[in-house]
Amino acid sequence: MPNASVPEIAPVQVSIVVEAEPELAFEVFTAELDSWWPRSHHIGKSPMTRSVMEPGVGGRCYSEHEDGSSVQWGKVLAWDPPKSFVMAWQVSPKWQFEADPAQCSEVEVNFTPQGEGHTLVAIEHRHFERHGEGGDVMRSQVGNDAGGWGGLLKLYKAKVEVAG
Amino acid sequence: MRRSLPLVLTYHETQLDALGDATRRAILERLLRQPSAVGELAEHFPVSRPAISQHLRVLKEARLVSSDAEGTRRVYRIDPRGFDELRRYFERFWTGALTSFKKKAEERARAERKRS
Repeated sequence: MPNASVPEIAPVQVSIVVEAEPELAFEVFTAELDSWWPRSHHIGKSPMTRSVMEPGVGGRCYSEHEDGSSVQWGKVLAWDPPKSFVMAWQVSPKWQFEADPAQCSEVEVNFTPQGEGHTLVAIEHRHFERHGEGGDVMRSQVGNDAGGWGGLLKLYKAKVEVAG
Repeated sequence: MRRSLPLVLTYHETQLDALGDATRRAILERLLRQPSAVGELAEHFPVSRPAISQHLRVLKEARLVSSDAEGTRRVYRIDPRGFDELRRYFERFWTGALTSFKKKAEERARAERKRS
């Protein structure tokens, strides 16, 4: 089994400066997630009515839907307000909730004061290679130890580096 | 995370759907090691040759594999474009979300300044 802690694909990093103190920025990002999270971004089966992030380590991120269902898509792994938090991205490549953290990517969000009431909000989404790790019956069927997306991306990386 | 903006996201949904199948991931792994024809792939999998062809079609639509004719054989290989697009999907996803977040956070900051 490939070492899941080694990033095999470059993390996605995006950031933005907001005109708000870190405390407020953190609060809006987490407790007030529902006020800005795009309504289109969910893995539920009916339209989303509400988006929730529970505070603190172990807190769940989930969406509520018109049909009364709710679907979890994340879990807080580290919580350090108003500086940062890390969450597991519990979405499988099949667009379903993934309970096993070893098969989830991670999202880290940092809030850095920029002076004069400004805050840099930086997101790093990493460990994409973990999606698809483990649990595949197919792996034993084809006698392939490297199995899963992790092994795949490792091979891909090796290939690209040789080509480059 | 998907839905809406179908035109923008189609490719990336296709890629994630394509990767969501264990046989297809195993086929990709095989192709990373060695570009192969359908018949060569079929020897290594407990599924029929038409099934392999069908998987290859899905992977090709997702731009995760490409194929070339070599003599009388059609050889399939990894297409890096699909992998790069998958990463760009998440880049766009978060950029869009952050733009929406900024608007809300600044609205709230203005409201607080007014109050104080």
